[in-house]
Amino acid sequence: MDYHKVTEQELRRLREIIPEDRILTGEEIGEDYSHDELGGITNAPEVLIRVLSTEEISEIMKYANCQHIPVVVRGSGTGLVGASVALHGGIMLETTGMNRILELDTENLTVTVEPGVLLMELSQFAEENDFLYPPDPGEKSATIGGNISTNAGGMRAVKYGVTRDYVRGLTVVLPTGEVIKLGGKVVKNSSGYSLKDLMIGSEGTLGIITEAVLKLVALPKVSVSLLIPFADMDAALEAVPEIIKSKAVPTAIEFMERGTILFAEEYLGKKFPDSKSDAYILLTFDGNSLEQVERDYDTVAKLCIDRGALDVYIVDTDERKQSVWSARGAFLEAIKASTTAMDECDVVVPRNRVADFIKFTHQLAQEIGMRIPSFGHAGDGNLHVYLCRDEMEEKEWQKKLDTVFDAMYRKAEEYHGLVSGEHGIGFAKRRYLSRQYGEAQMRIMRGIKLAFDPNGILNPGKVV
Amino acid sequence: MSYLKINHDKITAENAEDLMKICPFSAITYENGRLEIGAGCKMCKMCVNKGPKGAIEFIKEEAPSVDKSLWKGITVFVEHDEGRIHPVTLELIGKARELAKVTGQPVYALFIGFNIEDQAKKLLFYGVDEVFLYDSPALKHFLILPYANVFTHFINQTKPSSILVGATHLGRSLAPRVAARFRTGLTADCTVLDMKENTDLVQIRPAFGGNIMAQIVTPRNRPQFCTVRYKIFSAPPKQETPRGRITRMEIEEKQLKDTMQVLDIIRKPKDIDISDADIIVAVGRGIKSQADLALAEELASLLGAQIACTRPLIEAGWFDAKHQIGLSGRTVKAKLIITLGISGSVQFAAGMRNSDCIVSVNKDKNAPIFDVAHYGFVGDLYEIVPAFIQQMKEEN
Amino acid sequence: MNILVCIKQVPGTSNVEVDPVTGVLKRDGVASKMNPYDLYSLELAMCLRQQHGGTVDVITMGPPQAKSSLLEAICMGADKGCLISDRRFGGADVVATSYTLSQGIRKMGQYDLILCGKQTTDGDTAQVGPETAEFLNIPHATNVQEITEAEDGFLTVRITMDGFAQVQKMPLPCLLTVEKNINTPRLPSYRRKCSVNPDGISVFSLADFEDKNEGHYGLSGSPTQVERIFPPEKNLSKEIYEGSGNELSQKLFDLLLQKKFI
Repeated sequence: MDYHKVTEQELRRLREIIPEDRILTGEEIGEDYSHDELGGITNAPEVLIRVLSTEEISEIMKYANCQHIPVVVRGSGTGLVGASVALHGGIMLETTGMNRILELDTENLTVTVEPGVLLMELSQFAEENDFLYPPDPGEKSATIGGNISTNAGGMRAVKYGVTRDYVRGLTVVLPTGEVIKLGGKVVKNSSGYSLKDLMIGSEGTLGIITEAVLKLVALPKVSVSLLIPFADMDAALEAVPEIIKSKAVPTAIEFMERGTILFAEEYLGKKFPDSKSDAYILLTFDGNSLEQVERDYDTVAKLCIDRGALDVYIVDTDERKQSVWSARGAFLEAIKASTTAMDECDVVVPRNRVADFIKFTHQLAQEIGMRIPSFGHAGDGNLHVYLCRDEMEEKEWQKKLDTVFDAMYRKAEEYHGLVSGEHGIGFAKRRYLSRQYGEAQMRIMRGIKLAFDPNGILNPGKVV
Repeated sequence: MSYLKINHDKITAENAEDLMKICPFSAITYENGRLEIGAGCKMCKMCVNKGPKGAIEFIKEEAPSVDKSLWKGITVFVEHDEGRIHPVTLELIGKARELAKVTGQPVYALFIGFNIEDQAKKLLFYGVDEVFLYDSPALKHFLILPYANVFTHFINQTKPSSILVGATHLGRSLAPRVAARFRTGLTADCTVLDMKENTDLVQIRPAFGGNIMAQIVTPRNRPQFCTVRYKIFSAPPKQETPRGRITRMEIEEKQLKDTMQVLDIIRKPKDIDISDADIIVAVGRGIKSQADLALAEELASLLGAQIACTRPLIEAGWFDAKHQIGLSGRTVKAKLIITLGISGSVQFAAGMRNSDCIVSVNKDKNAPIFDVAHYGFVGDLYEIVPAFIQQMKEEN
Repeated sequence: MNILVCIKQVPGTSNVEVDPVTGVLKRDGVASKMNPYDLYSLELAMCLRQQHGGTVDVITMGPPQAKSSLLEAICMGADKGCLISDRRFGGADVVATSYTLSQGIRKMGQYDLILCGKQTTDGDTAQVGPETAEFLNIPHATNVQEITEAEDGFLTVRITMDGFAQVQKMPLPCLLTVEKNINTPRLPSYRRKCSVNPDGISVFSLADFEDKNEGHYGLSGSPTQVERIFPPEKNLSKEIYEGSGNELSQKLFDLLLQKKFI
């Protein structure tokens, strides 16, 4: 598609809307802005604008829409599928300056934020006010705008659900520059099509979120994790459906392999409290009293021991949580540091298929001759599988990458799983999405895109 | 024997309830109509002061006090490494002089080691009235029992009123041992010291992780011990001419014999994890090339600092991942961190914002690092750092 | 080798709020936990037991609730525990605490090695270890990083000193305080938790001690007195300097000098 280039003339007009010191061009734009966290795809925007308000964004969009200049929105740039990369150059709007927490409504139990507020800032703010914002994706320095745009999930999804479940209302600037308000502080809503829910997970292709009303819950007073060693991954993963069946409702069920733990030990320069066993699951329980939490975890601990767990370790104090969860938090970086290049697969499968799918990746790794470590949210079926290049030649790597991705997405499909659990489609996973969804679904999606963005200027080349 | 006395005639079911709530340690119980104070009691006296009047009384029966007039002088324990006097010693001598002015008592120094007489003379330039010297091959290295025996001998001979010890590793091992031997008070890590006219040493120290300050005295016992960390007080200026004298002390050989034995001294500094470092120089993308790291390294070595960096420098392969500060790296809590050319991403700031003193050098005055910095220097690190290094070298 | 580890129960969070008037901990919602520094000594003890055989026992002084820390230590692998608890120990300073502990240790029996954490998170004095060793009349070493050898009634230990490490030979019995971060403490085991008998913990009070003189314990046995408690001054300075390279470097020099970093 042909887009209009940003030249001196366009910059002059943009400077009328935005003060000059927030408009960066050419060399001034850091190299970071041409890729996201995984860096698979790279392209620099022609101009980077640090926006501060809905009105500014609206004015820029009106102009860009008229001039047919592509626009990409970027938060902290922690995405993994290239959704915030300016594929076609044009304008990049950086929202990290819109980082105010606007209102805490203790009567409606909502918090209203600008999109550049970071997840860690929001969760800290909520906790200071005795609330919990439950979505808990691993990347704490991501912006809320980004979280909403990918419908990020995170560790606590088993008990609390994902970002979508906590978005009550959105203020959105459409590609045409019009400003619309979707949803609100209301709890129920059956007023027409839910455009709010279309916006969530749309990865910056439909509109620009400039304000969000989020739901909060009361802060649980106590949380305890259990680290449960098993002799092998099969035994560990087979215990997970049983745990879910037991109705004990942990907030999180994560699984980890010994190999991944060893990478994290190496990366952090710190020993994990236990690395004797081949496979572990890590669960967290929260509640309002230690007694209640102990009751909950007791059931699961017994169940796991019956299912062959070697022991159940109790992770109850700040130090112990630190020693376990800091390793869990470093897995992505640790695997990244262990290899020359990597790519990731974020499939989600029904929870009773997790064990089968992981077994399949192990098999695949053997057959293809590629290292494929994984970890993830066993409790919600969302797996993070990493394909490591190690010493492969570029050609061999690309070829094997295609084969492995292809095989994994086919297997996920066979298990009635989906392409992405929480990282999104962006640029990297587009073809897998269209293959799985087929023409009818893709046609509807393209129609929706067209309805929001008739000129196709907003984040072109992504998702659909 | 001081104790809490429960006046049972004044206890009712209602005020018992109140008393149980008042006790911060849940030490008060009320069962079968009888109030009890349990082993959780820390004698905080909240129940006496805030409870129903007269229900619980504090009965104070003072143990007899020593005759304080028999104990005179303020002693500073000389911390040294094979004769090289640790600067905390001079800082304590300066403070001891101030304290001594209140009571008009002398300032002593206790110097234990081997071949240290020449070093002892240096102390006379800082206002010590008398240096007590225990010089013996057996005292070449620190071993707890011989050192404690020497300290004991010194106290018995000279009867000092107060003893100030540097809160070094050695001081924190030796001082409590000797204090326990005299069954007297020792207050650790004092930040303020003062002297009462009755020779009671007023000691102020942070408690509960610095959430509160406590003022502590040792009213009935002598000597009174305290430890003070390095760089809390200031060293006095060196005087033109020495004054005071050196007294060589002799102690029975058998007091110096011990089954403990020093096998080795390892000088090579251990690879300190930046999480534990007191002083850190952190570098970011403002450093233009790998060769320029030498600048930061020189600064770090002059300050005795560990070097750390941001994530992009790890990705560039300039550093090992163990040097990375930030959410995906280490969290540090340094006494001083100097950031050079770091814009201050949230990922980075989250890993260092709890440091005591944050000094940041960056060209861009709008950089977010200046939101977390206590002292921001808006300028070019390539101008500031070399000039600073130059000055450090000249001053030395 | 029979080892005794001294542990302490401390407030569960580091953000303890203190009443600025009374200096007393605000108890609302403050759970307790084992002093984090003790975890390293406990782990070291269990590693030594693995290498040399013997037992690892734990002792603590505190209110009846402190039993839970002993049980926690047993869940981590300790063999048995002992609580020293008596109202008459209340208000003890370092000397009185160390003396009480030494009496309890004597009562528990003969040990080859006594281990302590390097300090506690609530008191922060790092003095109880050395003072207890004095009252037990055995040698001690503080800030032990590693035990490299153990044989014939001797240990070879490496200890942290200022600017260097000292390797020394210690005769047994002795007391060591253990440096932090020298190992990764193991986690409490649920299996052990299920099998431990809470009544199996012995409790000693003053009546069980050899020295029953009340004047040696608690407030009465404490030479130090807290005269006053007050909130610390908050120093939240924030300064931004602009100027030439030379001006700024001078400013930086003055700042670091004033702050005693140079």
